Amino acid sequence: MSGQDLLTISPLIAAILVAVAVLIVDLIAPGRREPALATALLGLGIVAILTAVAGRTPGQAFGGSYTVDALTTFLDLLFISIVALTIAFAPDYLEPRDLPIAEFAAVLVFALTGAMLIAASTDLLVLFLALELMVLPGYLLAAYAKHDSLSTEGAIKYFLLGSFSSAIFLFGLAYVWGLTGSTRVADVAAELGKIASGGPALAPGLALGLAFMTTGVAFKIAAVPFHYWTPDAYQGSPTPVTGYLSVGPKVGAFALILRLFVGALGSLRGDWLDVVIVLAALTMTLGNLVALTQNNVKRMLAYSSIAHTGYMLVGLAAYAGGRQEGLQGLLYYGAAYTFMNLGAFAVVAALQRRPGVTSSLDTFAGLGRREPLLGILMTLFLLSLTGIPPTAGFFGKAYVILAAVQAGGPLTILAVIAMLNAAAAAFYYLRVVVYMFMREPATEGEPQRHGNLVWAGLWTTSVLTILLGLIPAPLLSVVSDAARALGS
Amino acid sequence: MTNSLDAYLVLSGLLFAIGSFGFLARRNAISMLMSIELMLNAVNLAIVAFGSFVDRLRPNASVIALMVIAVAAAEATVGLAIVIAIYRNRRTPLVDEYDSLRQ
Repeated sequence: MSGQDLLTISPLIAAILVAVAVLIVDLIAPGRREPALATALLGLGIVAILTAVAGRTPGQAFGGSYTVDALTTFLDLLFISIVALTIAFAPDYLEPRDLPIAEFAAVLVFALTGAMLIAASTDLLVLFLALELMVLPGYLLAAYAKHDSLSTEGAIKYFLLGSFSSAIFLFGLAYVWGLTGSTRVADVAAELGKIASGGPALAPGLALGLAFMTTGVAFKIAAVPFHYWTPDAYQGSPTPVTGYLSVGPKVGAFALILRLFVGALGSLRGDWLDVVIVLAALTMTLGNLVALTQNNVKRMLAYSSIAHTGYMLVGLAAYAGGRQEGLQGLLYYGAAYTFMNLGAFAVVAALQRRPGVTSSLDTFAGLGRREPLLGILMTLFLLSLTGIPPTAGFFGKAYVILAAVQAGGPLTILAVIAMLNAAAAAFYYLRVVVYMFMREPATEGEPQRHGNLVWAGLWTTSVLTILLGLIPAPLLSVVSDAARALGS
Repeated sequence: MTNSLDAYLVLSGLLFAIGSFGFLARRNAISMLMSIELMLNAVNLAIVAFGSFVDRLRPNASVIALMVIAVAAAEATVGLAIVIAIYRNRRTPLVDEYDSLRQ
């Protein structure tokens, strides 16, 4: 370890210090939310600046196990904005329920360090440690309302299946390490490259290891048929946590896929193409079909997030089919999905400001008249989730589907399935809009006051949702740099 | 195949299979936690076996095994905390009865 290494990982160190600082501030001024919130948000700003600065000098640290490139910087900034927005949305939901905000922010920033480490790690063992560092705080957050039996029920299902999948992933990792002789992604890629270019045949143990790792990751991104934990975990968790869980760990697991599958298994991509196609088709279709029948908006958004995983997998399949554009589409979709989905969950959380308000569809009846601004913003996010131009969601879908069409072959069918799914999804998203603007509420509720932070977060997400739809070029150039950094 | 790498890998595979079966078949949250620990220990056995039979893996093996032990400990801590929290709410460790979200 040298001074240069420490400089390279300075954003990560800063993130850890921010989490500790939030805890210390809470110790000094217990129970007061402003100091803790200010520390967390200011600290995240500093981490973002450090990330941008560190990203100017791409390089490796710790003997090649930590890599800073365009992909690291893009993903890190995305993770930081996810966590900052979640912290902004949280007080409105947590405060009326007497849940402390400082611990919430601190645990969230600890999860951020894991996600940032995933984005930068090019070593199998570091990837696994980073994954655990990201998901363990996630389990704690899911159980954050510890006296609420729904929250703890969601958390235990999330935890049990999450650690089961971690164990499966680790079993695969042990075999890949044992049979390729290295934990470095570059060395594993070189070993597998020999096999791909007609060297020794793929050893059964190695194939087994790769299959176990794939299964473990499929659990983490909630791809069908490994999605059973998702609806319960999402519905049970406190709403701001659900918003975070639906984007943070998901984009984090996709970062792991990019580092691991694209980085190490790129040479074998012809072999995993079929698996990804089947996973993508199943995930999109089942997610959307089940979402159609839901009457709880949180559960509906949980199934819709499964469907969105499927669309992102279409981008991965297009890459496996030989189109670099697939990765760009995947990254663009990740960013677009982050902002629109966080925004939608923020509206749900804002509605649940009063304790006892559920997230059932009836809660949304008459919202357009009661709180017009909230109704309009929710409509925007839902239209973007549907994929209607000119919103971020449209371009996200357009890029992954276009890449799949360009790749041709079986991927053309996948593109058609994706488009059919997008059309079917419109039904359940627009149903919420119908409820908000055309249904009379059963009981007339008072409009509620929402904090400034919530509005700031809602404006940020909505402006980004529109901007990424109107002028996609800047983000597109960023994601193409990031995809190129990963190699072809 | 006594005292060979394959023997240890088979043992580790069996332990892992027993752990997965326990996880899928048991309905008690504590037993499921124990099954996950068994799976992680099976992985550790495989890692240590690789390290002791393959020379070029030896330097890494103990580091990886120690890391896995640390992760397993962290996971058990979080898991037990969640189990205690839900036990206080529901008064039962049986996961079959945690079904209020599906209604």
